[in-house]
Order: sequence, then C-alpha cells, then structure tokens
Amino acid sequence: MAKIIVVTSGKGGVGKTTSAAAIATGLALRGNKTIVIDFDVGLRNLDLIMGCERRVVYDLVNVIQGEATLNQAMIRDKRTENLFILPASQTRDKDALTPEGVEQILNNLKDEFDYIICDSPAGIERGAQLAMYYADEAIVVTNPEVSSVRDSDRILGLLGSKTRLAEQGKEQVKEHLLITRYNPHRVDHGDMLNLNDITEILSIKLLGLIPESEAVLRASNQGVPVTHDDDSDAGQAYADTVSRLLGEDVPLRFHEAQKKSFLSRMFGGRR
Amino acid sequence: MSLNVDRENTAFTFKGGMLPMTVMELSSADPEEVEAQLSGKVSQSPAFFQHTPVVLSVEKVDGPNLALERLCAICRSHKLLPVAVRGGGESAKQSAWALGLGWFPPVEARTHTLAPVPDAEPAVAEPVAAETLVAHGGRVYRGTVRSGQQISAPEGDLVVVGAVNAGAEILAAGSIHVYGPLRGRALAGIHGDTDVGVFCHELHAELLSVSGNYKRLEDIDPVLLGKAIQVYLEKDHLHIEAL
Repeated sequence: MAKIIVVTSGKGGVGKTTSAAAIATGLALRGNKTIVIDFDVGLRNLDLIMGCERRVVYDLVNVIQGEATLNQAMIRDKRTENLFILPASQTRDKDALTPEGVEQILNNLKDEFDYIICDSPAGIERGAQLAMYYADEAIVVTNPEVSSVRDSDRILGLLGSKTRLAEQGKEQVKEHLLITRYNPHRVDHGDMLNLNDITEILSIKLLGLIPESEAVLRASNQGVPVTHDDDSDAGQAYADTVSRLLGEDVPLRFHEAQKKSFLSRMFGGRR
Repeated sequence: MSLNVDRENTAFTFKGGMLPMTVMELSSADPEEVEAQLSGKVSQSPAFFQHTPVVLSVEKVDGPNLALERLCAICRSHKLLPVAVRGGGESAKQSAWALGLGWFPPVEARTHTLAPVPDAEPAVAEPVAAETLVAHGGRVYRGTVRSGQQISAPEGDLVVVGAVNAGAEILAAGSIHVYGPLRGRALAGIHGDTDVGVFCHELHAELLSVSGNYKRLEDIDPVLLGKAIQVYLEKDHLHIEAL
C-alpha cells in the first residue's frame, strides 16, 4: 500500500513544486515506485520542473472526468526508473476536482505504488484542501520569513482538522517541516528567521533544510529535479531529506555559515 | 464524504460565534420593582441602553406567576432588547418560545454570580469576596493553537498547555492561562466578567482583552514582551504586569 504524502505550504512561491519533484525523484532513485501528482489545476508547473511538458497528453482532470484512463495520463520519467508524473490541467480550474474523483484515483494508484506525492497548490481553498485530504503524511514547506511561517502554521491547523485522518479521529497526519531557501549568512545578519525560531513557532519535526542555491533555479529551468545534481548543496540537502523521510538518521547540514577558505576566496569557488 | 470545501454559490454558512452578552439576573419578579430600578439606571448611564441585547436570567424568580411578557415589555421600553431567557422551568421555557425568545438551560449550581456590567453600576461597588470560585465548564487544551484556529471556553477558564501562535484566537468566559508563548489574541471575560485575567509564560500577544477592554500589541509596553505576565482589569483600565 502506498504512502500518500502531500507537499504543501499555504504561501505560494516557497518551493512546493521544486520540493515535490526533488523528493519524488529521490524516493524513486532509491528503488521506491513513486508517482508525483500535480494538484495545481490551472497553474500547471510540475511538468516543467520534471522536464516532461512536451509529453503531456491527458491530465488529472481528464481522468477524474472519465475522458482518459490513469495509464494514459501517467507519464514515465525518462531519467529515473520507478518514477511517474500525473500532470494537472492548464485549461481548467480547481472546481474540476471532486473529492470522489481524487479518492478514486488515489485508490487505484495505492496498490501499484510505494509513494504517492501530492503537489499542493498555494492557498487554503479547494485545490489545497483536496490535495491534503487523503494524505497520510505532510511535508510543510516554509521559507525563513514571517509570512511564510504564519501561512505554514495555518496549514498545520487545517492538516489537524480538514483531512480524512483528522475527521476519522483515529490518528494524525504525520507532519514534517521542510525549510527551503535558507541562507545562513542572511540569517546571521538578521535578514531571515533562524532555524530555531521557525521550529519553535511551528513545533513540528524538522525533516530537512535546503540552502538557498543557484542549483535550484538552474534545475528548474532545465527541467531536471535538483536531486540529480549530486554535487550541489541543494541536491545533497534533498538527498538527506529523502533519507530522513525513509527513517534514516542523518545529521543536519548547510545550516551554519561557512567561512570561505583562503583558497576559495582566491579562486572564487562557487560552492 | 464530509469534505468541507468553499463553494462560491452558497447563500450562507453557519458559523459558531462567541459574542459578549449582558445577562440581566432578576432577583425580583415584581414588574413594578424592575421598572423602578431600570428607570434609575437609565438616568445614570444612558449610553448603556441603546437597544442592548440582554438575556433575562429567571433562575431566582421562576414561578407560576412569572410575568415574562410584561418584563420584556418593560425592558424594551427602556431600550433593552431581550433576546433570550435563561433558567426557569418548563413554563418559563414555553413562554420564552411563545414570545419569540431563545431559551438557555440554567447554569447548574452556580458558585458565583457574574459581576455587574461596569457602566451600568458605577456608584455602588458590590462587595466582592476575596476569592471567587472558578466556574466549572472550563477547558484544558494541550498542544499548539495555530493561526486561524479559535479555541474557546464559553463557561469557564481556558488553560492552554502549549503555544498560541499569531493569528490564533482564544476566548474564555473566565480567565485564560497559557503555559507557553502567547502570540495570538486572548480574550478573557467574554460575558462581561471583570474579575478575570489573562496569564501567560511569554507575552507576544496581538491583542489582550478582559471583559471588552483591550490592548493591541502596539499599546503594550515593549519591556513586557517575552516576559511572563498577568493581565487584569482595575477601574475599567487594563493592567499588564510582569509576574
């Protein structure tokens, strides 16, 4: 039975889609059969980040409305075995999603996959609520700034009340915190919230910390999830994040400002 | 499927609300006496009598001869708007409904009376016992109260063991105790009880209120921020004090 993990944040532009793509890729690279579903109907992005935008024929809404089968809509990732993408529709809006339709799709995928990653749209409305409703676990993506932290706090409140697990009252959705765009230098200067402030306010377990990195933008524009960039700090940080998601105990990296060494200052080392 | 999703085309939504309400606790069922006392109050503080909604509490005066209709008429003629009746037996309930009023069950075994509404009783201070018993019906909430959440204790004290984050709101008829940082809004004494307070381990509150008297974060002395504090009402003035 697949584990359903929603990647959500409340606020837009914090790195949900990048993180969903990177984590799904990381899970698949370790041999887990994984599908990542774009719930951002009308503002489809996941296909670009995954580099499969030219191969989209059918989408999530087509499947929900019975115009295509799941197998027709699923796109097999070219780089990674075991990884599939279910794109969103760009021409529809979020009202095209129905709870019954989403449940049906997830049920059909559950037997076949190990992980189902739901890439939530921003906001707290229908699209975001449907993306989280059936989740077993949630990865809450937060940037080190006050508005993002407050929106994440709001989302955590919804995860505790507006999900199927919460409504059944048996158990809680397992919540993980993923901090992205963390820049230790700017934290030291007081431009950004620091790690401890964020974890104290949100009081959930830290799953990973992704440093602000050129590699992320490059990866997005090339349509290659940053996890493939093993040499980059962000790529390694996502790999650590996936390890923790799989239950491994990995020490935290990239959260402290590194003094540039004499040589790297001389030769302008990028990383 | 009970998924609650926003739809644009709904005519209304039901929402729970906690509104401050004045309870008029009758200790006499004699309409003449009530009338006389009311007239006196109107001249003392006319500002209070502006179609103020009141709940008539008939717990002490219930009987077969309770002239509810007459009492309501007297209230209305003094610009008080009876909206509901509290307490009394089956006959009180039936006559309240017949008059188009709501009915609330009596507050069982009340151990203390609500303090009088401040501006209606400016001159005579009631003798207040050194210690009033905490009304039952309080609530203990364990965990983080998150942005957008509202936790209330409509009949007693509210204790939060955890943090109250920015954008969250906690309300209580009695006092509020937060064993953690208070970053959201805290409103104590929502039914007009003035002898209650707000207590917290770490003050960052957006808003603090006791019985409708409030202070915003901006009005709070920055020295107190981050400290353990208590908030109480004294002579209609809200005091915040380090503990």
